[in-house]
Amino acid sequence: MEPQQIAGPLRELVVKLLRSTDDGTSSTSSVPEASISRTYQYALRLLGSRISAPLASDEAAVVDSIKRSLIHKGRASDALTFSNLHQRLGGPPGPGKLGKRWSLLYLLKSIAEDRASDESSSGHGSSGFEWSISTPAAAGGLPARPFDSRSSTANGVSATSKKSHRSTEQLAQNESELRTDSTAQLAVAPKGNVDSRQAAYQEFMHIRHTDAQVSEQDLVRDVVYTCQGIDGKHIKFDAKADGFVITDSVRLPRGARLLILKLCELGWLYRRIRTYVSERLSPASLELVGQAFGSALQQELADYYRLMAVLEAQVQQKAPGPGELAGQSTGGGSYLSLRRLAVWLAEPLLRMRLMAILVDNCGSLKGGALASALHMHRQHGDPFVHEFIGQLLEKVCLPLLEMIRRWVLEGELDDGYQEFFISGDLSVGDDGLWRDCYKVRQAMLPSFISPELAHRILRAGKSINFLRGCCQDEGWAEATDAAAAAAPGALSLTSPSGTLGTLVEAADQRISARLVATIFGRYRFREHCLAIKQYLLLGQGDFIQYLMDLIGPDLSQPAGLVSKFKLAGLLEAAVRASNAQYDDSATLDKLRVKMLEHGDGDRGWDVFSLEYQAASPLSTVFTEAVMLRYLRIFNFLWRLKRVEHALSASWKVMKPNAAVVKPGRGNQESAKTLADELRRCHTLRNEMNHFVTNLQYYIMFEVLECSWSDFLAEVDAAADLDALIAAHDTYLDTILKKSLLGERSQQLCKRLFTIFDTVLRFKGFADRLYEIVRDIQHKQRRREAEVSARTGAGQWGSLGGEDEHHESLVQEQLDSIGRNLDAIAAEYSSLLEGFTDQLLVQQHVDLRFLSFRLDFSEFYTRQRADRASTPLKLRWPGLLGGQL
Amino acid sequence: MPREIITLQVGQCGNQIGTEFWKKLCLEHGISKDGILEDFATQGGDRKDVFFYQADDEHYIPRALLLDLEPRVINTIQNSDYKNLYNHENMYIAQHGGGAGNNWASGYQQGQEVHEEILEMIDREADGSDSLEGFVLCHSIAGGTGSGMGSYLLEALNDRYGKKLVQTYSVFPNQQDGADVVVQPYNSLLTLKRLTLNADCVVVLDNTALNRIAENHLHIQNPSFSETNSLVSTVMSASTTTLRYPGYMNNDLVGLVASLIPTPRCHFLMTGYTPLTAERQGNAVRKTSVLDVMRRLLQAKNIMVSSYGRAKEASAAKYISILNIIQGEVDPTQVHKSLQRIRERRLASFIEWGPASIQVALSRKSPYVQTAHRVSGLMLASHTSIRHLFSRGVSQYEKLMKKQAFLDNYRKFSMFADNDLTEFDESREVVQSLIDEYKACETADYIKWGMEDRGKSMTDQGNASGTIDSRVPP
Repeated sequence: MEPQQIAGPLRELVVKLLRSTDDGTSSTSSVPEASISRTYQYALRLLGSRISAPLASDEAAVVDSIKRSLIHKGRASDALTFSNLHQRLGGPPGPGKLGKRWSLLYLLKSIAEDRASDESSSGHGSSGFEWSISTPAAAGGLPARPFDSRSSTANGVSATSKKSHRSTEQLAQNESELRTDSTAQLAVAPKGNVDSRQAAYQEFMHIRHTDAQVSEQDLVRDVVYTCQGIDGKHIKFDAKADGFVITDSVRLPRGARLLILKLCELGWLYRRIRTYVSERLSPASLELVGQAFGSALQQELADYYRLMAVLEAQVQQKAPGPGELAGQSTGGGSYLSLRRLAVWLAEPLLRMRLMAILVDNCGSLKGGALASALHMHRQHGDPFVHEFIGQLLEKVCLPLLEMIRRWVLEGELDDGYQEFFISGDLSVGDDGLWRDCYKVRQAMLPSFISPELAHRILRAGKSINFLRGCCQDEGWAEATDAAAAAAPGALSLTSPSGTLGTLVEAADQRISARLVATIFGRYRFREHCLAIKQYLLLGQGDFIQYLMDLIGPDLSQPAGLVSKFKLAGLLEAAVRASNAQYDDSATLDKLRVKMLEHGDGDRGWDVFSLEYQAASPLSTVFTEAVMLRYLRIFNFLWRLKRVEHALSASWKVMKPNAAVVKPGRGNQESAKTLADELRRCHTLRNEMNHFVTNLQYYIMFEVLECSWSDFLAEVDAAADLDALIAAHDTYLDTILKKSLLGERSQQLCKRLFTIFDTVLRFKGFADRLYEIVRDIQHKQRRREAEVSARTGAGQWGSLGGEDEHHESLVQEQLDSIGRNLDAIAAEYSSLLEGFTDQLLVQQHVDLRFLSFRLDFSEFYTRQRADRASTPLKLRWPGLLGGQL
Repeated sequence: MPREIITLQVGQCGNQIGTEFWKKLCLEHGISKDGILEDFATQGGDRKDVFFYQADDEHYIPRALLLDLEPRVINTIQNSDYKNLYNHENMYIAQHGGGAGNNWASGYQQGQEVHEEILEMIDREADGSDSLEGFVLCHSIAGGTGSGMGSYLLEALNDRYGKKLVQTYSVFPNQQDGADVVVQPYNSLLTLKRLTLNADCVVVLDNTALNRIAENHLHIQNPSFSETNSLVSTVMSASTTTLRYPGYMNNDLVGLVASLIPTPRCHFLMTGYTPLTAERQGNAVRKTSVLDVMRRLLQAKNIMVSSYGRAKEASAAKYISILNIIQGEVDPTQVHKSLQRIRERRLASFIEWGPASIQVALSRKSPYVQTAHRVSGLMLASHTSIRHLFSRGVSQYEKLMKKQAFLDNYRKFSMFADNDLTEFDESREVVQSLIDEYKACETADYIKWGMEDRGKSMTDQGNASGTIDSRVPP
């Protein structure tokens, strides 16, 4: 407008304003002309004062700036409304369309800022302008963030803001080029004075565009298309080059070409990710974790789409109108140049790259392994990367978490595609359920779940299944309910110490406690252990004794002739005869006779064994392997007991009141030698008995009782079934090791069994010796009786001669037995020596206890010392076989 | 098929200590004075059928024979609270009721005269058991009935039940103060012969020591028989705990004594018990460790045989065997430590001619009896010092015999008729050889003992042993 045109309306305006402010009732004339003219002059001066907006008239920048300030003030919805209104304002050009939108917007904005900055005083209108001039940020016209606020996080904001800061500078630079100098524009007349420099620039732009044959706008559109994976007009996807290429017909400066290609990377990345996502989300792919990954990526892509939509809108919106020059548009605010696009797309590119890396590296994985891989990538120093992958991981882990929750709280293995890190083998029966059925699948174990946690998870679900399957227990549900209540809130995988850990711990603790309580209570674990100790480890001494009494004769037969049924009957008889009868019948039912495989020459003793058949839930602890070890212990103890039994029996044969040789009767000399012979037999027996009883004491105290009390303590402390099993295994191990049945003491054990055999052989000879002695005694008595009868009858007492032959025969027998005993004595002592020697070098410290016991009175130490100083032959001075 | 044990209580002393023993067993097994199982006695684990048999489901009757030649003690029992406990068919009182008059010969002869009746009772009782393990005889060796009739019974059992075990709890007379029975040296000697030859295991209960313990530990001046008898019953019940509460070891009498008695003749056991407190003292529960118990058991003052001779001889005395039966709450791991301490301090010296050790049996305590001590222990030991007890008996006998005092009473009976005192001489010889054997046990050469006579003739053939030995390399 020309100044003349302005003058009329201005004056009218002044008059109108003055009147309305003065007084509504007063007439126009009442207003002094002077004041009107003064105000008019002031207004004219204002208008002519060349205050100009410091900015180029970039409408988009102003719009953005307004939106930003609205969002900044927390009025996001207003911002939305504003952008909506602005959109409508800028509808298709036509009649009635508002021109100078930029000026209007700028004015509104200035007023708003003015008001905000100085609420109390109305101040000078110009102060608002000045303030806005001095704020470079406003001048920059920061682009509003292209993502919706939902996906942006604190880090994201900082990242973008940094970037936008950079873009601000760029823009400012651009604009300083574009801007006319101070005289360029008036706020009210933006179109008025076009500087020659600007014209030159526009000329240049025009030339550039026409020169390239392709307008930048087209390229921008193409790039935007490309970024969505669609071929543009000039930029197409070349499968051979595996990337987007610019059609040869387009001639572009090198810089622009590079920029475009750089931008096109985004399209390439997008294509990759999209392909992957569609694969993942296709109905053919059912892996849950993979799907979760796919959908997480999809969500990211959705954000990207949104951005693209905005960009596209902007591209379309500024499609040149029929009458407008392309050059004019560059001067306008909203045109998307390639550079600007590069700025816009910088951050999405980063994301896309990350996603593509993830797709490349982890895409082929599944389940827990996928999560592991993501977690690995998450370990990145850049907080942006860390955060971004963290979000992805959170989503990817959702199905895993659900699996864990179901497993831990319901014991359901909901894993159709082998993605979970716990695998179940359904072919395993109830017996092996605890030990063999469920395993941690290491490959699928996310690396952020520690092995301990994984183990607890495994145990919790396993316990539920065990309770459900083997124990027919329903109470576990309460335990899991309690556990679920104890760990409320969403699960989070990425912080293992957080809620997941709490949940697992709560569930594991409660279920394990429940399981242990069930095993103890309903299935009477302790009682069974005790029963096994009583019967298989011979704790119930009276029972074992009767059993040995009863089945001893049968067991002396060749193994093939021993009838298992008969033994079973005798077993029952032994139970009835002993205190075992008061034991629980359910326990006694489990006690069976077991015959081992027998070879040639085996006696019943070699193959007989007792067996305890533990029922289903407990067979998890008492597995076959475990029972086999019990069997070994039983056989050892049984053998030991048999030897003890034999020695007791031989003591009974030679017991004191059977003192066969009573002094003062019969042949003094021979009686005395016989007495010596017998005494030697006694001392030898005593020595063996000493060995056997001390071995038994050792077994009882150092091995069985000590292990048992340790075991009980451990059992009491056990919080879960694994601990129980471990305690029991340790218990068995200790017994095996300490009772010479371990790997290292095989030699020792062999030697021990040889000693046992020697003792049993000794028993045979001792019995025969006593048989003969009794025989002699019997004959002697008869003879005495005869003699006295004859004397009584008045005949000669002794006839003589008739006994000579017999006596020499007996003498021979005695000699041979004496020699045998000597041999056994020598053999025994050498065996024993070897045994104690070996004992001393044993690793296990408790075996030292045994040698301590065996040589308590230091008899053997002395003997050894004596032997060192005296020749061998004097060792058994009394061993003069058969000096009768 | 328990290993039943039949108890024979002979004479005044035998019946008194026997009665105490049964009282104790009834308490420990939760059996009432009438032999009925108490309602609370449901915690099994004990084996009642070794010493009792069941008349019916609830009714337990001791496998005991009460024998006496005079009615007084048995009548007291029959009038006591426990009158319904015993099987009345198992009580025998001589018809004339005159007793044995502290005369061994009288007791022996009366036993002989009524042996059919008594053996029938024994047979009947033995038939009532599935696998009779043996007999326990309770008697004193000083009086008439317990010593004389007891001696006869020992011989009779030996003949008839040669394969069964015979264990005796023999009360030895008080040798310190003037004896109540002047002829007790005679009686003792004659009984000792039977104990040596016809018993398998003799638990010696020395009245001298029992009195001393009662005075020193229980602070009773001039302890009565009932008080010393309660000591005896404690020992008796404790020594049978392993039979009554079956465990891993020592579940039968043979197993128990077989390792205590390595050579048949040395089968006299002495006992020790700790802690000993009179009932009125035991109010506070004391904490006693296994080591405490085992150490105290080796102290002379707790041993119920006052047989330690002069210091020089005492130092030569050796343990042939030791079995400690420990009752109560015992940590099994403590046993080994205690044994180690005992060996370190050499609290016990053992024979040198064979291996020996302290055996330890852990036994449960009756849940029905409250005691002041958590842990208590009984020691059964074969110790060579016991020979001094016998020596003293022999020397007292010799004093009397020198004077030929009081022999008239004995000559009245057939064994000693016509002044035939060979039985005395024979007994003396047996006891002396026993003493010698114990003495020999103190040396390392026990195995060679008794061979000295042949020693010289042996030297010629000495090679024989050498060749035998060298055949088998050590």
